[in-house]
Amino acid sequence: MASVSNEGQRPPGRTALAGMTVMAHDNPEGGKPGLVITELAHLGKINLRGGSDMLPVISNHTGCAKLPDNNRVVSVGDRHIVWLGPDEYLLLCAAGSETHLHSQLTLDMAGIHAAVTNVTDSLCALSLRGKAARRVLAKGCSLDLHASQFGAGDCAQTMLAHAAVTLIAHDASGFTLVCRTSFAPYVTEWLMDAALEFGASFRG
Amino acid sequence: MLLITCPYCGPRDESEFSCGGEAHIARPLAESSLTDAEFADYLFLRDNPKGLFLERWRHAAGCRRWFNMARDTVTHEIVEIYPMGSGPASKAGKAAHAASWRRDTAAEAASKPAHKSRAKKDKVS
Ligand SMILES: [Zn+2]
Repeated sequence: MASVSNEGQRPPGRTALAGMTVMAHDNPEGGKPGLVITELAHLGKINLRGGSDMLPVISNHTGCAKLPDNNRVVSVGDRHIVWLGPDEYLLLCAAGSETHLHSQLTLDMAGIHAAVTNVTDSLCALSLRGKAARRVLAKGCSLDLHASQFGAGDCAQTMLAHAAVTLIAHDASGFTLVCRTSFAPYVTEWLMDAALEFGASFRG
Repeated sequence: MLLITCPYCGPRDESEFSCGGEAHIARPLAESSLTDAEFADYLFLRDNPKGLFLERWRHAAGCRRWFNMARDTVTHEIVEIYPMGSGPASKAGKAAHAASWRRDTAAEAASKPAHKSRAKKDKVS
């Protein structure tokens, strides 16, 4: 699946990791760092609760023909629907597009037993890339992260070093991690520390 | 550490779950017909068997959904996992359900709608 990007109109305001300085650890074996962390600042996030009768409305606004199966993500362009539970989804959209999308979805869901909540600023999204990304995540996560078990388009809500996170796999070495905004500095620092042996870099 | 199969997410580590204690404690509908001691059976007393136990669990760090589990408290064997609102389907699970002291309490008898309608009928006649 295509990776999540936050290209688009960036609204003003402080991001979750605004206070963190750029960090870098050299790869001891030389070459590129094993893990590159980038904050997907202001990435739009909308929580959807409801049953399959939400599908026509969601389809209309995202282009996704179906809701994702358990532990899966459905993507069309820059809109991604992440499965969170049997009646719960997280919709990721371009930075700055969430306010309009939220009001459109709310209007069109009228009469449907559903809840549409803008959670953009409550959650922080990080892009994790690099050869060592899986090995670093595996240090703090009980999921089976082998590429054959957690591959492109798979997602899971789980714990990473005691912090609740949603993990989305894009390919062999690319992930999006979503966590609470208040946990984002901790998660980032933990990842940088866990990636010391592979080399790592962070930029907000 | 247990490997628990969430009915929605699949096998996950025990650390992602929280245990909600004994399952199948029915709320007495005809609570006014119970003595304080009988109501206390429902409110305060929990079973602690050595052997198969029917429990409620929640996938707290995952999909956050509740489900029931039949677990052996001695061996930790998970005999079955079944949805909220239903009873165990396995032979061992059914036997554990039937064997619980709670089945004989006045509180549980007062949870059944049949009891309520009988009480109504009594009043009419
Ligand atoms: Zn689950």
